[in-house]
Amino acid sequence: MKLEDIVRKLDLEVTSGEKNLDREVTRGYASDLMSDVIANAEKNDISVTLQTHLNTVAVASMKELAGIVLINGRRPEQETLKRAVQEAMPILVSPLSAFEVVGRLYGFGITGMKG
Amino acid sequence: MTRGLKNSLPWEEILRTLHAHTILNDDGWLGDGIARVYGSDLMSDILSFSKPNSLLLTGLINPQTIRTAEMVDIAAICFVHGKRPHEETLDLARKNQLPLFCTRFSMFEACGRLFAAGLVDEEGFPGLPESKGRGDDR
Amino acid sequence: MNRLKQLHKVQELVYELKIRDAAVREVFTMSPDTMMTQVRQMLRGQKITAAPVIENGTLLGIVSVEDYINWLQEGADDCPVSERMSRDLVTMYDDEPMVFAIQNFEKYRYYEFPVINRKSGKLEGIITKFDVLVALLKALDIDYYKMEIGQYDGTHFFNDVSADQSRLEFAYSVPKAGIGAGGEVASKLKRNLGYLGIHPNIIRRVAIATYEAEMNLVIYGGGGTIRANLDGSCIRIEVADEGPGIEDIDAVLEPGYSTAPAWVRELGFGAGMGFSNIQNSAQELDITSAVGKGTRLDIVIPLEES
Repeated sequence: MKLEDIVRKLDLEVTSGEKNLDREVTRGYASDLMSDVIANAEKNDISVTLQTHLNTVAVASMKELAGIVLINGRRPEQETLKRAVQEAMPILVSPLSAFEVVGRLYGFGITGMKG
Repeated sequence: MTRGLKNSLPWEEILRTLHAHTILNDDGWLGDGIARVYGSDLMSDILSFSKPNSLLLTGLINPQTIRTAEMVDIAAICFVHGKRPHEETLDLARKNQLPLFCTRFSMFEACGRLFAAGLVDEEGFPGLPESKGRGDDR
Repeated sequence: MNRLKQLHKVQELVYELKIRDAAVREVFTMSPDTMMTQVRQMLRGQKITAAPVIENGTLLGIVSVEDYINWLQEGADDCPVSERMSRDLVTMYDDEPMVFAIQNFEKYRYYEFPVINRKSGKLEGIITKFDVLVALLKALDIDYYKMEIGQYDGTHFFNDVSADQSRLEFAYSVPKAGIGAGGEVASKLKRNLGYLGIHPNIIRRVAIATYEAEMNLVIYGGGGTIRANLDGSCIRIEVADEGPGIEDIDAVLEPGYSTAPAWVRELGFGAGMGFSNIQNSAQELDITSAVGKGTRLDIVIPLEES
């Protein structure tokens, strides 16, 4: 499923990385611990987190994730947004909780099982 | 006081959905079932969620997780990604009579499955269509 | 709990509890064009004596076993329930005290009342005498449990003791130690407040605020002291350390602001929400700090649910 479809279906706010919304997503990863994401996330995953810190983008770029969904209406910090724009890393904001966002993504067929 | 929450899953079903096994549990520790799940790896986030009688999904196995759970009256914790806590954490959980479970699924997969099984996250009374509110948004 | 005390407690509860505390939310309803011949099966199947009749979410009336019996007795033709239902409804609001339900059960012959949500005007549930009984038993049970964990029912502690002024203080010293011990004070304080019968919502707020402050003490402050002071109206928590102090107090109050090193973040802390959580739990938060001297937090939380 493409990021832009997810954006539409979950009514997400796009704060960066508009030109990369055509990325294809098949798997999701939800974690707020950077070490965890580094160890377990896979390329093209969509990451669900409430961490608005700069590290989130750094790690996402390193792991070549498709995009980041910030939950609970959290907005990226200034530095984070700057870096995300630089790297054209999509940061998408949702007012829903992690559980709801993940639940809905799961309903779209995006699983958390290893590819 | 609420009775008959339609989307309240009994514990056996929750554990089955998560393919979870019990790390620590004893008679009477668990209530009848829960209708709320919260997934988080941040203490301050768990603290501000503070809805009692919920199941916490987390990857944090340090003893502070137990303390945090105690502060906001969480009913039980299920560690994700096959993570297992160490003795210090187990001791504290035992003292607090807090049931601990473990699932091999990632946070994403665990939340996805529970959501699909019909648990609501926020306070919602799904009995009547009009009242499917989402409670307060934090 | 001796019999007389128990009776008084029930009388209190009947006024304290609300209709919504006893009402059952899953209501079996019928549409106005349900036929009378179906009524018996439906009521019997659900083990109820009456069902509200709803159309597009609006409560039109109620059909009871008595309506069915009357219809049978008259030997009337089959017809939709809308023709035989009672439109003269006695309903209750979800926020009314439960004593109103008891009064209504006595006044009318009905076995159940539909419960309306005052804000939305919609049917929210239904209440029977049995539901009232269960709600009371549950509430008593909770009280009983509280009694068991402390021999004394401290709920009215400040009313029971005689003094011009009463004050309780719990003082704790938090040693300079690893992050492992953090939270012990919050836990002890939480238990103490439980013994005093303080409302669980208030205990939760105190727990959250104390826990966050204690973790700050342990992670950044190098240990210190926590003093919780209660009088009849509020609890004042003073958290003090002689640590490095806070350079920019306004900054730390900003949600998300954090100076936490990586190892702290990996344990799930350092998201910069600590002070926000304290502020959201408390009525007042005062921070006094000087670099190199230390920090003091004064947290005030009211003891009554507003």
